[in-house]
Amino acid sequence: MSAIRVQGLTKSFTMKHKQPGLSGSIKGLFKPVVSEKVAVQPIDFTVEQGEVLAFLGPNGAGKSTTIKMLTGILHPSGGEADVLGYTPWRDRQRLAFHVGSVFGQKSQLWYHLPPVDTFELMGRIYEVPMNDFRKRRDDLVERFELGNYLHTPVRKLSLGERMRCEIAAALLHRPQIVFLDEPTIGLDVVVKAMIRDLIREMNREEGTTLFLTSHDAGDVEQLCKRVIVINHGQVILDDSVTNMKREYLTHKTIHLKLAVIPEQPLLLPGVEVVKQKGAGLKLSVNTVETSIETVLAYIVQNYRLEDVTIEDPSMEEVITHIYAKAGKEQGHESSG
Amino acid sequence: MSTAAKHLSFVFACWKMNLAGAMEFRMSFWLQVVTMMVNNAVWIFFWGVYFNRFPLVNGWQMQDVMMMWAVSAAGFGFSAVLFGNAYSLANIVATGQLDTYLAQPKPVLLHVLVSRMSVSAIGDILFGLILFVLFGDLSWLGIVKFAVALCLATMIFTYFTVLTQSLAFYIGNAEGLGHQFFITFLTFATYPTDIFRGIGRMVLFTVIPAGFISYLPLGLLREMQTPFLLATVVAVTVLAVCATWSFSRGLKRYGSGNMMTVRM
Repeated sequence: MSAIRVQGLTKSFTMKHKQPGLSGSIKGLFKPVVSEKVAVQPIDFTVEQGEVLAFLGPNGAGKSTTIKMLTGILHPSGGEADVLGYTPWRDRQRLAFHVGSVFGQKSQLWYHLPPVDTFELMGRIYEVPMNDFRKRRDDLVERFELGNYLHTPVRKLSLGERMRCEIAAALLHRPQIVFLDEPTIGLDVVVKAMIRDLIREMNREEGTTLFLTSHDAGDVEQLCKRVIVINHGQVILDDSVTNMKREYLTHKTIHLKLAVIPEQPLLLPGVEVVKQKGAGLKLSVNTVETSIETVLAYIVQNYRLEDVTIEDPSMEEVITHIYAKAGKEQGHESSG
Repeated sequence: MSTAAKHLSFVFACWKMNLAGAMEFRMSFWLQVVTMMVNNAVWIFFWGVYFNRFPLVNGWQMQDVMMMWAVSAAGFGFSAVLFGNAYSLANIVATGQLDTYLAQPKPVLLHVLVSRMSVSAIGDILFGLILFVLFGDLSWLGIVKFAVALCLATMIFTYFTVLTQSLAFYIGNAEGLGHQFFITFLTFATYPTDIFRGIGRMVLFTVIPAGFISYLPLGLLREMQTPFLLATVVAVTVLAVCATWSFSRGLKRYGSGNMMTVRM
């Protein structure tokens, strides 16, 4: 069953263009030049209940605008959206009871008060009966290990502690869908791993649908099964994370440690020496042109090998590749 | 629990949080409260000097002027303490800070308004109440009439401010304009209505409806003038409808933003 269904959803903003300098400002005061900026071009997609979806794109691609339309914060310029049977911008209040949102850059917690106070207010906002609220709060406090700073003002918490509290606050009312907009922004690796564990657990145990935007490849790789990539307001990829990696896994990296510094250069089609330091080499292999077996066989035949490691590209590289490819295609389209 | 009761419970919870937040910084809390009371007292000193030399100002006695200050100061005080975000609404809209409120299942305007408390305005409330104790009618009827006057003044301050600050939805950065409207309104609310004649007086009961507050000492506290009271209730209703409509319609034009924000 679908949790989110989007058809032709689009959003445009009116932008005022200011010419440079003071004279430009004065001109703009009397004769402003305005134009329409399309933040999200008509997009279509569906998210099933219980699915963990990564919604990716570079800055300004339209990710946050889409989330804001799906939560009823923004009214779209056109198109339809159905979230849990509600039209977000028309049934905002009713939908909000079933949705949780974590905006990495916008805090829901009261800055000068301890998280426990915000939790209590959240209980009232989402009209959770007091007994249920207490049970749920205690459960989340235990799972998120918040006990030690539950009574510390938010302004004195570290970013990682605050984010855990933010996520716990968004889950108090047992939402069916959680929108996570950059939940790991600015966090260190340990806290990131912890937050990912918690998000995974929430999906596994409560069947919560997760709609995640992130610039962190690790979030996508470790949390999501499906990915939608958006750029310039258009969906440029909608596939499983596994397929995406396979499709864009056209390069592998080989780290070599040879017994002696090589005298002859390594010349093989599809292989590029990215870095060389003494007897250590880093090779980039285009697996479409040359198979890994061929490369290894060549190396074993021609050099004395001490150690070898083969690496897949990181998710970050895969995503960068998708953006670059989409950018080129759009460039060709506009020039053609 | 009915919807109204749930909303009320939520509003009280927000007020409790605001007060708790304000009291986190004890010294700052007391300094703001006392400074505001001293600030208001300067004006009372000025009026005291005036009435020492002249007994009347266009039919207004010293007690009327003191009651006008009591109603205006405490009316504004209650508005800024209970609905503190009314005075920052333009900034909240222009910087995209409405997102948090829109993502939660409560009426947005109510939620925004009750999510902030002006600490210094507690000084205005105390100041108004002290003036009432010193110069007001302390009979039961007098207290009830003063309470009604405060309710009307609070609503007029709040709705007028929401209306002017909601301009941010339509013209972008309306922070400065909203502040100018507020200062003009406050100035007119603290001068005897009867010193204005002709167009000036008309403006006070239409465009800048501060006259409905500044005339309360005569029209309600000194003697109950039914036409004035009815007109005030109509004015409050019209302001409430216009402010709510302007805000709700503005939400459709809301463009959000990407500023990093926290709830203070």
